[in-house]
Amino acid sequence: MMRTFTISLCVAFAWSASLAAAEELTDVSAGEGSGDIAGAGQPQEIDELQAGECLQCHLTTEDGVGELWRDDVHARWGITCVTCHGGDETQPDKELSKRPGTGYRGALTALEDVELCGGCHGDVEYMKERKPLLPVDQLQKYWTSEHGKLLNKGETRVATCVSCHHAHGIREINDAKSPVYAVNVPATCAGCHADADYMSDFDIKTDQYAEYVESVHGKALLEKNDVRGAPACNDCHGNHGAAPPSVDAITNICGACHSYNADLFLGSPLAPAFKERSLADCVACHGKHEITHTSEEWVGAKPGSTCGKCHEQGDEGAELALYFVDSMSSVRQSFDEIHELLTEAETKGMDVTEAEDYVEAARQGLMQARTLVHSFSKPVMEEKLVEISENQAAALEAGYAALRGLEDRRRGLLVSTVLLLVLTIFVALKIRSLPPTS
Amino acid sequence: MSTSPENPDRAILAWAKDRYPIAKFAEWAEHKTVPVGPNAFWYYFGGITLFLFLIQVGTGIMLMFYYKGSADTAFASVRFISAKVPFGWLIRSVHAWSANLMIFFAFIHMFSVFFMRAYRKPRELTWLSGIVMLALLLGFGFSGYLLPWNELAFFATKVGTDIIGVIPLIGEPLMYVLRGGEEVTGSTLPRFFALHVALFPALLTIFIVAHLFFIQLQGIHEPDEWQEQPEKRKTMPFFPHFFMRELLLWLVVLNILAVLAVFFPAELGVEADPFSPAPAGIKPEWYFLATFEFLKYMPAHVGPIEGEQFGLLLISIGFVAWCLVPWIDRGRNRTVTTIVMAAGVTILVFLSIMTYLGHSV
Repeated sequence: MMRTFTISLCVAFAWSASLAAAEELTDVSAGEGSGDIAGAGQPQEIDELQAGECLQCHLTTEDGVGELWRDDVHARWGITCVTCHGGDETQPDKELSKRPGTGYRGALTALEDVELCGGCHGDVEYMKERKPLLPVDQLQKYWTSEHGKLLNKGETRVATCVSCHHAHGIREINDAKSPVYAVNVPATCAGCHADADYMSDFDIKTDQYAEYVESVHGKALLEKNDVRGAPACNDCHGNHGAAPPSVDAITNICGACHSYNADLFLGSPLAPAFKERSLADCVACHGKHEITHTSEEWVGAKPGSTCGKCHEQGDEGAELALYFVDSMSSVRQSFDEIHELLTEAETKGMDVTEAEDYVEAARQGLMQARTLVHSFSKPVMEEKLVEISENQAAALEAGYAALRGLEDRRRGLLVSTVLLLVLTIFVALKIRSLPPTS
Repeated sequence: MSTSPENPDRAILAWAKDRYPIAKFAEWAEHKTVPVGPNAFWYYFGGITLFLFLIQVGTGIMLMFYYKGSADTAFASVRFISAKVPFGWLIRSVHAWSANLMIFFAFIHMFSVFFMRAYRKPRELTWLSGIVMLALLLGFGFSGYLLPWNELAFFATKVGTDIIGVIPLIGEPLMYVLRGGEEVTGSTLPRFFALHVALFPALLTIFIVAHLFFIQLQGIHEPDEWQEQPEKRKTMPFFPHFFMRELLLWLVVLNILAVLAVFFPAELGVEADPFSPAPAGIKPEWYFLATFEFLKYMPAHVGPIEGEQFGLLLISIGFVAWCLVPWIDRGRNRTVTTIVMAAGVTILVFLSIMTYLGHSV
């Protein structure tokens, strides 16, 4: 679908304009030309859009350009059709508005599109007046991207600005309807990258999207809508500078979010070993687009385990992996024992809040221990395991104390019952000793 | 009687006698009697209710040493009481169980008075003050239930105050005042706390004093047949005969409370979160279950009135009729008495069935 859209844009933009047009636009944008973006320093209400006479026709054309333009973020800043397409917007007549001498350039080619958008968005002074927080290096980055490199070589079937942002109806990136809103990014990229036919000439796999959707990142973003925490394609590959990361860059990319894991790994004995074998650090074990939740089955030297890809049973790495597995398993069993104990105490009406605090601390420790696997260091893991076992021991002690407390309560009840019984007997005897009623 | 320093007890008594009419009080107490007969057992339940109220006051004051009545601190303070304060769990559990037993015995006391027809002249005000006290006890229960600020209590309070809001005219403003806003929020808790520890205790104390005053003035109701057959009249002195028997029952109730507190301590549950969805199976305390269940059986509309409003109207009519029983059944017409007694049995059976259904469904 994305491919069709891009192609249609390229075809539609058959009328080309010169690079000078983009320069002219820059001049216009500075308020010196007839493009009329005067007052561009102030956003305008939708009813006050200055689209000239163009929308008289384009509001009713099948491509829906006029309607899309109403929602376009640029329209709100006083940019009009002629800013990009040239022409005379004061003329209601189609022929007159596009007559020679009006600078009319019609639809843009892929190259023009990139340079025209980049003309404004790469202009520091221009953007500073309008969107000072918006970066101005998009065009610069684009030329470093695989898309940009191919375009530079004359390949027009690559993503340009409009492929991802659309040509008309461009929205802010934090607008949920934008194709580059975090949740929509994977589908936007997949528009081309999941299309086997379209990608056939580029020798690129097309299963990334299908793998990503099933990955832990994909589920977090697409199912849990975790737009702040979960990465989309651009978070690892870059957006305007989109490119496959190099092997050496993997740890930095994953480490942007998983910084502690990355630090641990880079400080571990495995980092140089991976480098020597040209293994892509994190990816070598966790995969790329298909990253799933880790499990303790990953660790170990058995066939099918992650460590088993390189290590053989009995070697130093396999022994360490075995230690990790045994330790984790032991910790897990202790949790089962604690849970059973605390459930019993709680069922009998005892307060186990304190014990649960220790359990929580131990669980946090276990999570940290799982992270510490990336240190591939027995002493580091041992230190954490000691901390976990101390918390587990404290939880057990608190649980047994609760049960002992229950025994104390029952003994106290027995004593008080005996005392009350003695008192009751005393009162009963006193009643019997009273003179009969009349 | 010696007033010598060698007998300090008697010296104090003599000192008091010089200043206060102790002799008159002793004479009055000596002549105070309680009827003896097959129904005498029921006379003890008023005293048991009073005893449980005293336990409530004592344990309530102790709980207040540590309880912090705001939404931010209430749950943590109750958890602290249960987990950390020495015997805090016992005090809290006794308070919770004593509240339930107090309401249970108050109901028994009310129905025993009803079926012994002790509400008749001259004890109309004793009956009315008793009903007001039972209403106050229910108020105690409703307001106290929210105080631990746990999830169940929060949503039960929401349901309970929703029902209050259905009452025509006064319902919505009353609900607003109780909640401290349109919804049950952190603003509701201090209001319920204030009602629970200030307004209700003050009112209940006044009504207990009035209730006991009426009883002392008029004496305990005697069986009707004694008026026709005075030779059957049999009484026992209040002091010490009745009082010692009452004391014996208090000791038994105290032991029951201790057993309940140890084997079924008050639970705390999960802290209330006003933004979380209501958990399934929210129910009020057992003494509100009958009303809750009855309103559930109401159709959406009864004529022009909403079903719930109609249900509350029926309950209100029943309540007013219950209050007016002394004036409806004055003992002059046997048929009226029979109808009133039958109505009492019907109400008792109805409340029992509805409570059972509310508990089991």
